[in-house]
Amino acid sequence: MRVSFTEWTKSGSPWVWLNAGAVAISMIMVIGLLGLIAVRGLGHFWPADIMQAKYTENGNTIVLAGEIADGENVPAEQLRDAGVAVPADAEFMRRNLLKIGNRDVGGSDFIWVLDEFLSEKSKPEMLFAAERREWGNFYGYLRGLKENGTLVASHDGYQKTPEYMALWHDFQQRLERALSIHDQIKDIEKGAIGSINYELERLRLKQRSLELKGVTDQSAYDELDARRAELNAEYEVLQKELLDLYTAFNRDSLIAETAAGQQVEIDIGKVVRAFLPNNMGLTDKIGHYIAKIWEFVSDDPREANTEGGIFPAIFGTVMMVLLMSVMVTPFGVVAAVYLREYAKQGFITRLIRIAVNNLAGVPSIVYGVFGLGFFVYFLGGNIDDLFFPEAKPAPTFGTPGLMWASLTLALLTVPVVIVATEEGLSRIPRAVREGSLALGATKAETLWKVVLPMASPAMMTGVILAIARAAGEVAPLMLVGVVKLAPSLPLDLNYPYLHLDQKFMHLGFHIYDVGFQSPNVEAARPLVYATALLLVAVIALLNFSAIAIRNHLREKYKALEM
Amino acid sequence: MTSEAKSHAIDISSMQRENRTLQLDNEIHTLQVQNLKLRYGDKEALHGIDMLIPKNRVTAFIGPSGCGKSTLLRCFNRMNDLVDGCSIDGQILLDGKNIFDRAVDVAELRRRVGMVFQKPNPFPKSIYENVAYGLRIQGINKKRVLDETVEWALKSAALWDEVKDRLHESALGMSGGQQQRLVIARTIAVKPEVLLLDEPASALDPISTLKIEELIHELKKDFTIVIVTHNMQQAARVSDYTAFMYMGDLIEFGVTDTLFTNPVQKQTEDYITGRYG
Repeated sequence: MRVSFTEWTKSGSPWVWLNAGAVAISMIMVIGLLGLIAVRGLGHFWPADIMQAKYTENGNTIVLAGEIADGENVPAEQLRDAGVAVPADAEFMRRNLLKIGNRDVGGSDFIWVLDEFLSEKSKPEMLFAAERREWGNFYGYLRGLKENGTLVASHDGYQKTPEYMALWHDFQQRLERALSIHDQIKDIEKGAIGSINYELERLRLKQRSLELKGVTDQSAYDELDARRAELNAEYEVLQKELLDLYTAFNRDSLIAETAAGQQVEIDIGKVVRAFLPNNMGLTDKIGHYIAKIWEFVSDDPREANTEGGIFPAIFGTVMMVLLMSVMVTPFGVVAAVYLREYAKQGFITRLIRIAVNNLAGVPSIVYGVFGLGFFVYFLGGNIDDLFFPEAKPAPTFGTPGLMWASLTLALLTVPVVIVATEEGLSRIPRAVREGSLALGATKAETLWKVVLPMASPAMMTGVILAIARAAGEVAPLMLVGVVKLAPSLPLDLNYPYLHLDQKFMHLGFHIYDVGFQSPNVEAARPLVYATALLLVAVIALLNFSAIAIRNHLREKYKALEM
Repeated sequence: MTSEAKSHAIDISSMQRENRTLQLDNEIHTLQVQNLKLRYGDKEALHGIDMLIPKNRVTAFIGPSGCGKSTLLRCFNRMNDLVDGCSIDGQILLDGKNIFDRAVDVAELRRRVGMVFQKPNPFPKSIYENVAYGLRIQGINKKRVLDETVEWALKSAALWDEVKDRLHESALGMSGGQQQRLVIARTIAVKPEVLLLDEPASALDPISTLKIEELIHELKKDFTIVIVTHNMQQAARVSDYTAFMYMGDLIEFGVTDTLFTNPVQKQTEDYITGRYG
């Protein structure tokens, strides 16, 4: 059935198509964006097979082993200009990025190879990959194990044989032992010794504060000295324990041979994880994959943030957002209540509303500058002068930190909370207020007992919007408290538990740092995607929990049918 | 009297018989309105009203929309204070004291003069907490006192039997008629002297309306009731005295029976016979 164009437009279906199209494009963009970061980010943790091959370029031949990280087609012309002897008839050549590791041996751990020049490709089962605490991955063959410098086991040959596997299992056992010692060392260093150092520092500050106050009573100083001696004695004991652990830790080393045939000795203590990717079945690989992802979300970063986990960044982000919410909610609500309920509506209130709305449009870096100038230098400096003179010249609050970052973001998001709360207050039916007033309640009582509970879902909406804005903000944080690597979490077991003056790590800044400030860009790039995915997940989680709270409140105070 | 009339919940004829013996001069006057003028900005809404509200009687205000009957009602508990640009001249005496006096505590006044609104406006709290609200505001938090008062108020509002098993459920789950009776229970829980009802049944179905009317009849033993209504039959059924207002003036005020059967003013007659309004 033919329908004329005018009839078709009249029927309204072009509008439906236009609207549906816009929705579809938005959906595709969101899904595509998440899909891209998910694939790129999550693929990084999969244990890829290691390829060994001969590579011949311009008559030189080397043996390589590594995993293919990336690939692209390049014009042959470009390669010819670069002095590579490529076949005359070729227009495009396939070029692969090979992660060959062994930075300590070869200098660089990534290399571009032309696919056509690779020959004798194989995937030897006994080729192993080792993640190390420094120098990145190692790829090669296990040749022997040393204990206290003497060779205790060795094997020749490259084929998978029971003897070779026995050597491999021996290595795995020694690795496990080293890892458990490493955990003990970390526990002592971060836990017990950390606490002792923290308390020693507090004692030093106490003494300094006594000196500043001009206390001459010797007993006060003696008390501090006694406690200090006690701590030092404890420290000595721990130090001895640590020394023993370190000796045990450094006992073993392994001898390995690179694909090119070079012998290398590696301390087993330096290895985090070793595996035979070409020998792994699917279940092994999945197990390895899950372990790697768990490490990523739960561990500390290694090697200038390019390896290991990002737990401190997740923790810092969540902590900062929660603190920000705690600061912004009461402030925004109180301001909105005054504006809507108490202030005489007129020119001034209109002016204030315009100002508040414009505040939301100020670029965030401007807030960062304000936070640095006002909060950090002015407020923080004065707090130091008043409350922490004993720590000077080292600043306590007069330096960027968690509190100032949260406060800066609270300032950035307060307009959102004010606007949402005002909206909510204006929607409370007049009849309910009058009902309360008619029972002899004062205006304040009506506000506290009826109006504010009923407006609480709107306040939560404001908080949700504030969280959405603040969690993704990076620019101002760089000025007021975020660092590349924080030595400890802002929440720990040392009094006063929550350290508002400490600097912290943040996922958004971590992305910037890993992606653009990293010494090893190739190695870090997948982590950028993975971190980005995690940032989105964390923000989504924060938002969903806030939305769940709001829905609960909404159900409780659902609007009266009027 | 037919058997049908007897089975009716309110025996109208007996009420009217009772009305005949009423006389305004013989009553105790809880509220005295003296030359009350009210302006919204430039517009005068009440042009000097003088009237007496008798104690323990039901007084109905009738009149066409916009005649000022609700405005007058809202003067009795100073609800008009909340309206921007509203100014009041003259006085209203409650037990001989001017409620517009500076020394009067508005919250205290509203506790003595309770009000029920046109649409039910329960708070988004439990049934129990709705009724206990006024008491809690006064600082009464003893559970025994609250329990007793809530039960008494709900019984007085003829709601107890319907809700006694779900006192701690949300009041918003009740029907419109139940909500309105809950609001009445909430209002009488603080034991006011005067109960102002602003078209309390206009948003309700006939059965709920009937229940509210029965309730008004019961409550006048304890409270002085002033009711604004659009419904002349309702005014005739429930009230002892009726005031007819028109365009901000009190046209006629008297015993309900007399006003409806033998109005003095031409305007009153025109209105109640349906010629305008």
